[in-house]
Amino acid sequence: MRRMFFVTKKIAPWAVAALSLMPFSVPPAVATQRVTLLETGSTLLYPLFNLWVPGYTRAHPGVRITTQGTGSGTGIAQAISGVAQIGASDAYMSNLQIKQNPSIANIPLAISAQTVNYNVPGLNRVHLKFSGPVLAGIYDGRIRYWNDRAIQSLNPGVRLPRKVIVPIHRTDGSGDTFIFSQYLSFSTPQWDQNVGYGTTISWPALPGSIGAVGNPGMVQAAQQNRYSIAYIGVSFSREVAKAGLGTAFLKNRAGRFLLPTPVTIGAAANQLVAKTPKDERLSLVFAPGVNSYPIINYEYAIVNKHQPNRAVGDAVRNFLRWAVDPRGGNSMRYLSQVHFMPLPGRISQLSKVQINEIK
Amino acid sequence: MAGPVSEDEMNNRSYYRLLLIGITALIPLSLFAVFVFLGTYSWPAIRFNGLHFLIGKTWSLGNLYANPITLHGAVVPRGARYGVLVFVAGTVLSSLIALAIAVPVSLGVAVFLSEGAPPRLRPALSFIVELLAGVPSVVYGLWGFAVLIPFVAATLGPGLKHLFGWIPFFRGPVGGGYGLLSASLVLALMVVPIIAATVRDALSKVPLEIKEAAYGLGASRFEVVSRVMLPMARASVIGASILGLGRALGETMAVLMVSGGALNYLPGNIYGPVSTMASFIASQLDSALQDPTGMAVRSLAEIALLLFGITVLVNILARLLIGRKGATARA
Repeated sequence: MRRMFFVTKKIAPWAVAALSLMPFSVPPAVATQRVTLLETGSTLLYPLFNLWVPGYTRAHPGVRITTQGTGSGTGIAQAISGVAQIGASDAYMSNLQIKQNPSIANIPLAISAQTVNYNVPGLNRVHLKFSGPVLAGIYDGRIRYWNDRAIQSLNPGVRLPRKVIVPIHRTDGSGDTFIFSQYLSFSTPQWDQNVGYGTTISWPALPGSIGAVGNPGMVQAAQQNRYSIAYIGVSFSREVAKAGLGTAFLKNRAGRFLLPTPVTIGAAANQLVAKTPKDERLSLVFAPGVNSYPIINYEYAIVNKHQPNRAVGDAVRNFLRWAVDPRGGNSMRYLSQVHFMPLPGRISQLSKVQINEIK
Repeated sequence: MAGPVSEDEMNNRSYYRLLLIGITALIPLSLFAVFVFLGTYSWPAIRFNGLHFLIGKTWSLGNLYANPITLHGAVVPRGARYGVLVFVAGTVLSSLIALAIAVPVSLGVAVFLSEGAPPRLRPALSFIVELLAGVPSVVYGLWGFAVLIPFVAATLGPGLKHLFGWIPFFRGPVGGGYGLLSASLVLALMVVPIIAATVRDALSKVPLEIKEAAYGLGASRFEVVSRVMLPMARASVIGASILGLGRALGETMAVLMVSGGALNYLPGNIYGPVSTMASFIASQLDSALQDPTGMAVRSLAEIALLLFGITVLVNILARLLIGRKGATARA
């Protein structure tokens, strides 16, 4: 029932498709040949899984994989509860969560990024510049108008309107909220102290600010609300373009303003590859380096290493091995469509080690 | 037949009686069980939150990525605070506004169905109204999302602001359509068929002789409806309204899709985003499950307990109202 809420409230055109899949999303039965897996969670990863699954199942007719975009919080919760075999999340789990659920692995599948988008009539073709502290000011109410001096000083020469900013945030537990609030926390001590980061954070009271569900909901809300600002996963950049929203330059740790491109995402990832621990739980947000785009992250599969039976365990393991393989799911053939970057070699190896522990 | 009853027959009768009592008892027992479950499950939250739960405007799960701390004898994430005033206000406001819109409309529909509509069309029209009462709420939500929100943002909101801008609650930014007004309109649409169907039944049960007597005294059609029929159906009108209020208070999906999901602030005007208790529980359960201390889920259960309490209260109130005013009418 709970899962149904999260599917239905998406309301995007594919909600109908997702609904029609509901009857099949029961945990897999022990079939002799055919195994059904459920993937649920991150709406940022959802478009990628929808590319992966047809490609994979065509070559492996023994498995059927159902995908759902329900938010990272749901992905983690349902991987732990066992409803889903693969939970998709843009956020890694906390230390205490891992301590309570030691059999759950956080396995990076690809590298993603996040854009900050806005709907300011007349300026959506201009790439406005924002820094972490300015975004923190917008989201905690210290900056209320588009022509605030803080925004204007980052964008000299741009005629900003005197209109109230409508900040949009996610209401569902979301990895996008996680990495966005990390960017604010890591760049702005005041935000770190007062709000912090997480998949669900307590947004400062800001009359007129709007909550939306999933990345599709964010795009929709930004499109419908003029003078709004939102954070949206890079896999939705096609929808963002279709909605006519502006995409911002973001200030990185070295003080440069960048857009997410393969070069800037790759540069940020390379800064932190060596620091990634064996359990691969590491934030890539606000990485050092002049060319590093500030909001990137590992896209995780949250998987229980002890699956209910061998057939399911094998199916999960094989699919994930394929997913992180540069000749399989990690080829640019899939990733470029959603603007993700493949895992660097060392991370791919670490992921494989974790995947091999799935039984 | 009226002979002495055999012992077997007597036994059968008492078994039958016991069976019926047992089945009947299931209903209050399950109600009681829900209450006990919610109470015990949310007890740690009730103790931790205290009265702040009702008057606090801030709902914060705290820092889920830091180590939890011990506060007032409970282990909770650092910075966790659970205040539900925003959701209570959103629930009560959206339901009451919905009812304020729905009751007059429903009365009009009911009067039309029982008096105004051509007799041959009445069954079909009544059927349609009853059908509307059974449409799943998510359908209304989808309609609200796709049709109502753009309409409120572009036309209705600015229009109301223009006409009623002198009332503070109608002043200020209209926003993008997500908010109290849209939620109330969707709720009103869902509640109208419920009230209209019930009131129509009551009106159709007003005895013909009474109506004829009124006409005989020279009353106009309007006077018959407004002075004779509606007063006789008063108990039904109140009962149906409370029934509708109950549905509006507990509505989840449709509200979630159009309310704007306000967090930590009260709506500044009728266009502002809100959250209701039911929709907040539905949308936050998975997030709350991320809290390793479990206090977030228990606090959600406390919201459920509060919603349960409000619903019970509303129904008791309805009983009292009907009991007092229904004495003169029996419709």
